[in-house]
Amino acid sequence: MAGRARLPIDVSLAHGVAPRRWMPVLAAGLSIGEYARSLVRRLAFLSAVLLAGIWALDGQGYFWPAWAWLGLGVLVLIDFGAAWAWRRPPGAVRRVACVWTLVGVAAVILVFTWLLTWLLAGAHSFWPAWALLGLATAGSAYSLIALHDRVLVARGRRALRARIDMLTRTRRQAVDAQAAELRRIERDLHDGAQARLVALTLQLGRAELRVQDQPEIRGLILDAQREAHVAIAELRDLARGIVPPLLADRGLVAAVQSLAARYGLGTAIEVDTHRGLAPAVESAAYFVVAEALTNTAKHARAQRSWVLLRHEHRALAVVVGDDGCGGADPCGSGLAGLRARVEALDGSLHVDSPAAGGTVLEVRLPCG
Amino acid sequence: MRVVIAEDLALLREGLVALLRESQIDVVAQVQDAPALLRAIDGHKPDLAIVDVRLPPSFSDEGLLAAIEARRRHPQLSVLVLSQYVETAYASELIAGDGAGNGYLLKERVGDVRAFLDALHSVAEGGTVLDRQVVAELLAPGDGATAALSGLTAREREVLALMAEGRSNTAIAESMIVTPGAVEKHITNIFAKLDLSACEDDHRRVLAVLAYLRVARQSDPADGAAAGGHGARGLRPDRNSE
Repeated sequence: MAGRARLPIDVSLAHGVAPRRWMPVLAAGLSIGEYARSLVRRLAFLSAVLLAGIWALDGQGYFWPAWAWLGLGVLVLIDFGAAWAWRRPPGAVRRVACVWTLVGVAAVILVFTWLLTWLLAGAHSFWPAWALLGLATAGSAYSLIALHDRVLVARGRRALRARIDMLTRTRRQAVDAQAAELRRIERDLHDGAQARLVALTLQLGRAELRVQDQPEIRGLILDAQREAHVAIAELRDLARGIVPPLLADRGLVAAVQSLAARYGLGTAIEVDTHRGLAPAVESAAYFVVAEALTNTAKHARAQRSWVLLRHEHRALAVVVGDDGCGGADPCGSGLAGLRARVEALDGSLHVDSPAAGGTVLEVRLPCG
Repeated sequence: MRVVIAEDLALLREGLVALLRESQIDVVAQVQDAPALLRAIDGHKPDLAIVDVRLPPSFSDEGLLAAIEARRRHPQLSVLVLSQYVETAYASELIAGDGAGNGYLLKERVGDVRAFLDALHSVAEGGTVLDRQVVAELLAPGDGATAALSGLTAREREVLALMAEGRSNTAIAESMIVTPGAVEKHITNIFAKLDLSACEDDHRRVLAVLAYLRVARQSDPADGAAAGGHGARGLRPDRNSE
């Protein structure tokens, strides 16, 4: 049935011949195999009718055509069973289907034989019972052995897939929640502790104005103010490490432009993306660019560098390159940290830094 | 002097108001967000607006944008922007126009009350005041500016930084404990080495220095033009890429 070789149309139906209902029509698109099966079925039906006619004309008596019917019926049954089995997926399942087809055919032969001997020659005990039981047992045993592994493996695979889906989903949620939480902490630092310390230094400044003539108290106030300034600077560094203010305020593109300006490498920036990235993706992309440009400025002795941000197939591609001396260690601690950060987002990081010169860092961050 | 204050934290806002009133400065309005700031400026026509960069509701840079918008509507208005962190990009945007009377300071500078009031008056009188951290970032080593600035002596760099902060010759002389004459000599040398035309006006001088630093940072020491075709380059005052 797999081969769809067709007979030429003019073989099947001569010009001007009207199609007959009993005649399989090749022009309807039947393959040779289907044509043959169709022909066998029709011939079997025709023979059954013919034999019954011969018996009727031959003075009737013992109804011998019943045995011919059984033989022809078995042929047709095998044909249907084989077709049914062939539609199963290849492998163990198809083998089991073939076995059950054979079991079914044998059972039909047994039952019909018993039925015919009972009808034609008088009642018997139901002698095929033991044979049928044996056939069913054998078929079941074979099915169990053949499909046992398959069922177990399929169940294991389904469980594994569900687990992977769940882990992927919850990890993404955890990463997103962490990024959102970090931004909330940064905001809280900014609006809370930092702002209150600024207000404190202002009040101390006003107090200091009032005690110009008491050097001891003035000294204490100035000390307190110095401490407050140190605390403010520390909080600012902390907040900047969590999420750079420009990234939080204006998004990735502005933050990357500011980075490039800070390193002053004449960095060319190509942007083909938009805002609306998840905070985790945005932060990761920012820190990739920051680390790459830091490395370029520190080690590469480059004349030129460039940054590319682009949406590609539901991912953000971040490419940073320079024309420096190359030879960057892909396993260095800075790059390893970046890799961990990128992989936590199911992203990939690739470094190409031949000793001949030039370094390209390519990162892909899924953001579907 | 009539002042409008835009600051969302009540503690700091009230402290600022008290400080200014003690110093005989008239606080005509105090507001908590950007739209209210623009309304207050339209209504009161103050001389100076003191604006926090981050304001409600989104707490990003709406204070800065409102300050720029207010100056566009009222060119005679002076603006002092306060921020808890320095961004050279914000400083550049603020002084991008022909901005007489602009200031960008870290918030904690309010603690040094006298210097803060000096800066306030300087901005109100049309000067430009930049926080020393902004200047330090602009002058940071490892930048494109380095090559251009390498011809300067350490003393001249110090003077350049103080100039960029908006200090007058007298203030620079005091801070460096030298005579004003020595400062003037340094300044003449700096302008000659950087090929800038000298000017007496403190404000114009700041702008000239800052413009120079910005250009130096953006240009590639080797050959920037070839890479320029890729798109946005360096620090850009316009924001059309967003």
